[in-house]
Amino acid sequence: MQEKTHEQKLAEFEARIARGEKIEPGDWMPDEYKKNLIRIISQHAHSEIVGQLPEGKWIPYAPGFRRKLTLIAKVQDEAGHGQLLYRAAETLGKSREEMMEELLTGKAKYANVFNYPTPTWADVGVIGWLVDTSAVINQTMLAQTSYGPYARAMKRICYEESFHIKQGYDAVATLARGIPAQRAMAQDAINRWWYPTLMMSGPPDKISVHTDQAMRWKIKTKTNEQVRQEFVDLIVPQIRALGFDVPDTNCYLDEATGHYHYTQPDWEELRRVVNGDGPCNAERLAVRRKVHEEGTWVREALAAKQSKTPKAA
Amino acid sequence: MSIEVPSNISSKALSRFVLSLADDEFILGHRDSEWTGYGPILEEDIAFSNIAQDEIGHSLVWLTLCEQLGGRSPDAMAFERSWKEFTCCRFVSYPKGDFAYTVVRQYLFDAAEQVRLQSLAQSSFKPLKEIAEKLIREESYHLLHSQSLVERLGDATEESHRRMQAALDEAFSQSLGMFETLQDEEGLIQAGVFPGNDVLRNQWLHSIVPMLKAATLTLPVKSEHDIYRILCSSDDGGRRGAQTEHLQQLVSDLRQVYDLAPQSKW
Amino acid sequence: MDTQWETYEVFHQTKRGDAHVHVGSVHAPDPQMALQLAKDQFARRLKCVSLWVVRTKDVTATDYQDDGFFAQSTDKSYRDPKAFESPEKAVDDEH
Repeated sequence: MQEKTHEQKLAEFEARIARGEKIEPGDWMPDEYKKNLIRIISQHAHSEIVGQLPEGKWIPYAPGFRRKLTLIAKVQDEAGHGQLLYRAAETLGKSREEMMEELLTGKAKYANVFNYPTPTWADVGVIGWLVDTSAVINQTMLAQTSYGPYARAMKRICYEESFHIKQGYDAVATLARGIPAQRAMAQDAINRWWYPTLMMSGPPDKISVHTDQAMRWKIKTKTNEQVRQEFVDLIVPQIRALGFDVPDTNCYLDEATGHYHYTQPDWEELRRVVNGDGPCNAERLAVRRKVHEEGTWVREALAAKQSKTPKAA
Repeated sequence: MSIEVPSNISSKALSRFVLSLADDEFILGHRDSEWTGYGPILEEDIAFSNIAQDEIGHSLVWLTLCEQLGGRSPDAMAFERSWKEFTCCRFVSYPKGDFAYTVVRQYLFDAAEQVRLQSLAQSSFKPLKEIAEKLIREESYHLLHSQSLVERLGDATEESHRRMQAALDEAFSQSLGMFETLQDEEGLIQAGVFPGNDVLRNQWLHSIVPMLKAATLTLPVKSEHDIYRILCSSDDGGRRGAQTEHLQQLVSDLRQVYDLAPQSKW
Repeated sequence: MDTQWETYEVFHQTKRGDAHVHVGSVHAPDPQMALQLAKDQFARRLKCVSLWVVRTKDVTATDYQDDGFFAQSTDKSYRDPKAFESPEKAVDDEH
């Protein structure tokens, strides 16, 4: 059989994507597609496990049985999502060890939001509600992604994320009905998380170098702006329905477009935070490094035990 | 819904007993949850979060029974009591330590829980019997997990052996506090509520000593005619409220948010 | 050195009578631990009556690029029940 040329393979690959078929591990794929996917999926996985920290901090302090159990389950899900996503990236030939290494050495990036502090209990609720709503819009899109293993992981993750949003909203709604100090705590958290959450979906697409190719190969099917607008349209009425303010005096429903107008966040801040210079980057990575180092003897011992045990016939 | 206590059982002693079960699970669950986000590998992080949820969930079941026996609500019991009012054994209150200490403590506790629940499944007090039958299903799998880890880590590498033995040296005397004699214990034994802590301790030793030995770990215990003689002291006091400073810190942490508005919902 | 343990593919059966379905993988030190870890990762919410784990490297699979493996070059409709006359239809047409 005659070997196909690069152009022929690329044409078949793009035709497959155009037909709405998934790409699977072992398929021929352009290097750029593979590189782009590894970058996106591993960043996503890193975000989940770094994302355990800001909320996990509140597990010992969670007020009441239900909140305590719920929060453990939520932070557990984040480890679970990290697990699924690292696995999806591994199908592209990169090991979990290598990806962890890149995270711990500061080479890899992860979602900006997890580099902000969580000084009050209300942060737990607001992260679940705002940050996870934004995440779910992005992830619902990613469940349509052209890479099979990523799409499969996303389907499961989206289902669990809807629990995250509900528990977050429930915690904030409870604060909204509480004493003034509880309400104030929630409003303060909304104020602090608003812009970091808007930044999550990425810079406007004319600045984003990755969007173009990601859209063509259906890694993503929506632009950053579309995802952000969808988030704002969904969340602003919810925030106001609970009697809270959106911390943007220029946020209003534009009757002509049917969409909410909002003030763009500070993109320079996003660049700084993603590149390692946010309020908590150093702290988060230091914790992850310590966890990784302290766990090394356990991982090594169990691996050694396996090779010592005689295999069953 | 309140539950009638038969006249041959002291209602006060019974409540105290159930509360000690609840407090053990609650505080250990709290300690387990300190691994959420900090596990040695993602899969174990997930596993320990499950164990934490189960333990805390079990304490909620026991506290619900306490409430039905005339006590306060589970949230009030867990979040409004002073640390000196907790009756958990001191063992569960110590800091989580390294993963070896956590695994060893979890194993010693799970094995004790197994014999405790098995005996309660024979209890003359029906509500206890029913709860024990229900909880034992989950607890057996905690035991399977912690035992699997002890079996493997005990002699896997030089470092894992050293860490596991050091953890056991530290934990064993502490763990004996799980079997501290309760006030009114004799009355509960007479009424057939449970067989008493001496019996449970011996059953527990029969389950852990051979297993730990197979994992190449040693205990300060001598076997004589089917009875184990323990060659170290027991870290008692928890059941009568003589708690550790670690519990004081833990309870202060867990009440931190709750106390900002104790009358409010959270 | 890679310390993340090897991977096991996980198959999940929701209820007796159903087929086991592939749901993902776990990193585990051995098959028994793989089962326990798979339970916590894949069966903590979903109903489950049975799990299988198989070492990933023990799975033998076809190659997506070798699509000729599944080629049906000639008409195989004679294997399809829809390609035949239906006795039920004959009875229906009678009435």
